[in-house]
Amino acid sequence: MSALDILIILLRVAFGAFVPLSFVAVLVWMERRGAAFFQDRAGPNRCNVYGIRAGGLIQNLADGIKLIFKEDIVPGHIQHKLYFILAPMLVFITALLCFAVIPFADVLVLGDREYVMQAVPMDVGILWFLAVVGFGVYGIILAGWSSHNKYGVLGGLRAAAQVISYEIPMGLSLVSLLAVYGTVDLSAIAQYQGQLLFGFIPAWGFVLQPLGVIIFIVAAFAETNRTPFDLAEGESEIVAGYHVEYSSMKFALFFMGEYVAMFVSSALIVTLYFGSYQIPWLSTETLVAHARPVVILLMIGLPVIAYFFAGWIKKNNRTHYYRADDPRSRETAIYVSLLWSLVVVLEVILLIYLIFAAGGAADRILVLLLQIGSFLIKTFLMCFVYVWVRWTLPRFRYDQLQKIGWEKMLPLALLNIFITGAIIVSFS
Amino acid sequence: MLATYLFFGLALLAVLGALGLILFKHPMNGAMSFVVTLISLAGLYALLSAKLIFAIQLIVYAGAIMSLILFIIMFLNIQERDLPIDSNRWFYLAGGIIVVAPIAGLMIKIAKSLPEEHPELIDGFGDVKTVGHLLFTEWLLPFEIVSILLLVALVGAVVLAGKRGVN
Repeated sequence: MSALDILIILLRVAFGAFVPLSFVAVLVWMERRGAAFFQDRAGPNRCNVYGIRAGGLIQNLADGIKLIFKEDIVPGHIQHKLYFILAPMLVFITALLCFAVIPFADVLVLGDREYVMQAVPMDVGILWFLAVVGFGVYGIILAGWSSHNKYGVLGGLRAAAQVISYEIPMGLSLVSLLAVYGTVDLSAIAQYQGQLLFGFIPAWGFVLQPLGVIIFIVAAFAETNRTPFDLAEGESEIVAGYHVEYSSMKFALFFMGEYVAMFVSSALIVTLYFGSYQIPWLSTETLVAHARPVVILLMIGLPVIAYFFAGWIKKNNRTHYYRADDPRSRETAIYVSLLWSLVVVLEVILLIYLIFAAGGAADRILVLLLQIGSFLIKTFLMCFVYVWVRWTLPRFRYDQLQKIGWEKMLPLALLNIFITGAIIVSFS
Repeated sequence: MLATYLFFGLALLAVLGALGLILFKHPMNGAMSFVVTLISLAGLYALLSAKLIFAIQLIVYAGAIMSLILFIIMFLNIQERDLPIDSNRWFYLAGGIIVVAPIAGLMIKIAKSLPEEHPELIDGFGDVKTVGHLLFTEWLLPFEIVSILLLVALVGAVVLAGKRGVN
């Protein structure tokens, strides 16, 4: 193995491990600000470090510090302490492991070597995801059971029954999708979606499987135990469900596990149905061939976007009444100067690229970065859909939840398999 | 060399898990140690380059079946005191050993007759496509028979559940 091989392996694994973790902070922030937005209030906006509030992100830091320094209690009535401690770890680790097989950019060609851009380049792809999601159920069952608490057991039962039931429509909607793509390897699935349908529509999963995408997204919501399927937590009836006995970082692991799971399932929905890292109408080869015009467009586009963004910050980030020596205008000035210095740095890097490095390997790396950006933006938007649904829909009743799973989604998924099969056989 | 160490580690874990399954009193401990066995077996399949079998072992056995068993242990809240007292278990154990001994002899014989040299892997060995192709061409009849068996079990479960609902 050359030094480059080792470097790329390290970078891939680092991406697979740290991106979901840093998205936890972003998603917690998005959840709070999103909730505030939907309920027409301000959301967390007071925590600050020297007057810098970062739009509420500092609140996460405060929460993290709070959770770390809380007393870590293992209640005295718990008989199986090993399972009690193992459960949050399982929930968190399985959520993180799912991301290992999701490709975040096209295969990187450097010289005569090809590097698959997944944390773990494994061609069982989606099967790995299904396997690891199955293990997440252990964490929930063990947490509920070992808590030795009525609410905990009820929450664990609900969550486990729900995850097991919704794995079936999820698996069936995957069957028809895999029949379309003809592979289980997520990298190959992502490459397939770079094609154009009839020459002008990007062949993304949601175009090819309009019914499958709805079934899959609903099942994915249920798998992550999010509203409208969050009766495992059901504060109003069973307090907090399976994590009622947990405190401090053990609770934080459940909490972070939920957001990692939400990020990973958004990433999977994007990979399977919304073109993965593909930028519509611009395939990897097109981008590599036209790297220079793309860079020039970026160099023009960045200041324009930054101008409007800075204007938006200036308009919103100020005190809306008279206040002598307004601390918020000082904060705004810092943000705007940070934004512009970021733009200047990017412009300089792009300029150096244009003058010295254009052509060859640098083009490939530029396309790689663009595709990672496209993947993260799509995943971010999908995560917003999760928040959007959570603060719009009320919770289902338990019998309604099981009825939807078994009596509506299962037959629909089966119907989808038959229709897909008929279309594939008759048109190929 | 790494593969050899991994093999010994996984084999040891698999045997320990199986021992735990029969020696632990509490059903939850037994089930969890069986999960360890199933995961180590999946690891052994991966060492044999059988990727599809590895994934299926994890999804079906370690994932679906064992989580259902854990679910049932939790649902019925089985504790040690609920278990029947089997006073003749040493008798059953001895009987079991006598019944299994010939099979163990057979296994040892098979292990001794294994070839020393490693055959080359064919292209795409253990892939989803290769296994699927074999399954639906050469092994179609056994595959269909197993599917019908599973269907019978499914229908049987529904009929039994339905009967209880009527009463």
